[in-house]
Amino acid sequence: MTDGQSVIKTRKLTKIYPGNMKAVDGIDVEVKSGEIFAFLGPNGAGKTTTIKMLNTLLKPTSGRAMVAGFDVAKKPGEVRKRIGYAAQDVGVDEHSTGRENLTLYGHFYRLDNDTIKRRVKKIFEIVGLTGYENKMVSTYSGGMRKRLDLAMGLIHRPQILFLDEPTTGLDPQTRAHIWEYIHTLVEKLGMTIFMTTHYMDEADHLANRIAIIDLGKIVTMGTADELKRSIGGDVVTLSPVGDNAEARKEFVKRADAILAGKPFVTGTKPTDGELAVYVNNSESAIPSIMQLLTGEGIAVKTISISRPSLDDVFLKYTGRTIRAQEGTRTTPTQISNMGNRRGR
Amino acid sequence: MNALTDTWYITMRDLRARIRMPVFIFISLFQPIVFLLLFPQIFKAVGSNMFTGDTSYLQFFTPGILVMTGLLSAALSGIGMIINMDTGILSKMLATPVTRVSIVLGRVMATVLVILIQAAIIMIITVIMGVHIQTGIGGALLALLLIGLLGLGISAFSEGLALLLKRQETLMAVVNLFGMPLMLLSTMMMPSELLPNWLNTVRHFNPIDYAIVGVRDLVLNGYVWHDLWRSFAVLGGMAVVTVAFATTMFRRRTE
Repeated sequence: MTDGQSVIKTRKLTKIYPGNMKAVDGIDVEVKSGEIFAFLGPNGAGKTTTIKMLNTLLKPTSGRAMVAGFDVAKKPGEVRKRIGYAAQDVGVDEHSTGRENLTLYGHFYRLDNDTIKRRVKKIFEIVGLTGYENKMVSTYSGGMRKRLDLAMGLIHRPQILFLDEPTTGLDPQTRAHIWEYIHTLVEKLGMTIFMTTHYMDEADHLANRIAIIDLGKIVTMGTADELKRSIGGDVVTLSPVGDNAEARKEFVKRADAILAGKPFVTGTKPTDGELAVYVNNSESAIPSIMQLLTGEGIAVKTISISRPSLDDVFLKYTGRTIRAQEGTRTTPTQISNMGNRRGR
Repeated sequence: MNALTDTWYITMRDLRARIRMPVFIFISLFQPIVFLLLFPQIFKAVGSNMFTGDTSYLQFFTPGILVMTGLLSAALSGIGMIINMDTGILSKMLATPVTRVSIVLGRVMATVLVILIQAAIIMIITVIMGVHIQTGIGGALLALLLIGLLGLGISAFSEGLALLLKRQETLMAVVNLFGMPLMLLSTMMMPSELLPNWLNTVRHFNPIDYAIVGVRDLVLNGYVWHDLWRSFAVLGGMAVVTVAFATTMFRRRTE
């Protein structure tokens, strides 16, 4: 799948917004040709800012980024010829037909009319919109618009396609379709894809490699399996009796103090409402955990066991969960409210 | 070269989109038409005292209405730019090799073409209502050219403001704040002889008045070249300044 040639490479890439807000803080990343590379993190983590520096919409404050062989700050025009971009907001014109939208972009990339005509046909097939070429975009469904938006970034056969939150706000069926198209693009057209997402399952399903980003920094990077393995074994989640926030906090604190550092525990991660305990082997660990806690008079309401997911990876490296927040940084109250939703 | 073709493609796209929603073209014609029907009634008495021969108030007022049509459409041009910014259309375009200034110039050109269509419609309506254009077809085309030039200047200003203000509501407020006074501080509704002195002084600083004076000459008096040259010079000068303003704002916004 990878031929090993690096198509994106950044060196201490940094963006500071007015007011000294460090949105992206010294990111080093390298993406190889033919890869699907995902930036995973909550909104506000710096994902969109990074993508906008790579696709020339924003100038880096410091650091460098080479995309398709050119420095984004010095040769933005060369970079633009070789990339496609689909933002979270769909950038299609409602008052034109699908074909007109695509044709306009063909002209922007200096393609001649014959080439545009041929490619429009082909691309509509790829994104599954054949038959809708001459329909007004205002009659398209949300999923169809998203697919057209993807198509508009493909007309010039870019080397690299940037996808910012490609499935946010779409229904499950449409998401599955979009995933399929992304796979097709890589397999049939040999494209490299740099995408951002705050969906764990999306990163898990699509990406060859994932970088988890939080507060403008990459906290860890690797394949989904490598990341999950880095946690090791199983995750045992302990939930206390009662709903009282104070009591739950106390439970987590005490249980954490008892279990952390025990030989069968590889790590613990307290949230406000529950305690995640990483162990090598849950079958043998659970009796020991129960024994230790009962001995200290701590009552456990539920125990759940799971294989580590990317959620757990995120939790381990950032101390917070990403799920269910969709767009906002989690506050402690939100985390405790999410307590009952553990497991997937 | 690329700048010209890019501007052309964006102009055509924009124009196509607007012509597909004829309702919008007609909505902005609504106010001029209402004025056209009402004002000659309201000022009927004034008209018969003021004008001699076959000059009615309608005849006098028509150039003002033509200019008003161009002004209203042009002033709201920037709203489309704000919609493009809000919907992500602009960002998506900027990630392509498209010539940057073409994005704003294409929009302005589309607005000018729409204004020419609208002014031509109003002109035909007034001719049907009995207005006689002194300079004939040639003069009518020259009048449209003046209105187009005014439209170019005002819509470029509106696009620049849109990029500066970034919010539809704010842009609308600014347009309302300036639009009405600019129309009133001119010879749009009253001939200069009936205006107070201070207003006659003020109107010389109002670009709208130059458009009205030029168009009115062509409709009522014939080719009064010393007026016409001045009108073209002032409106052309304004267009140069506001296009520079719009492209500067666009560069600032996108870099």
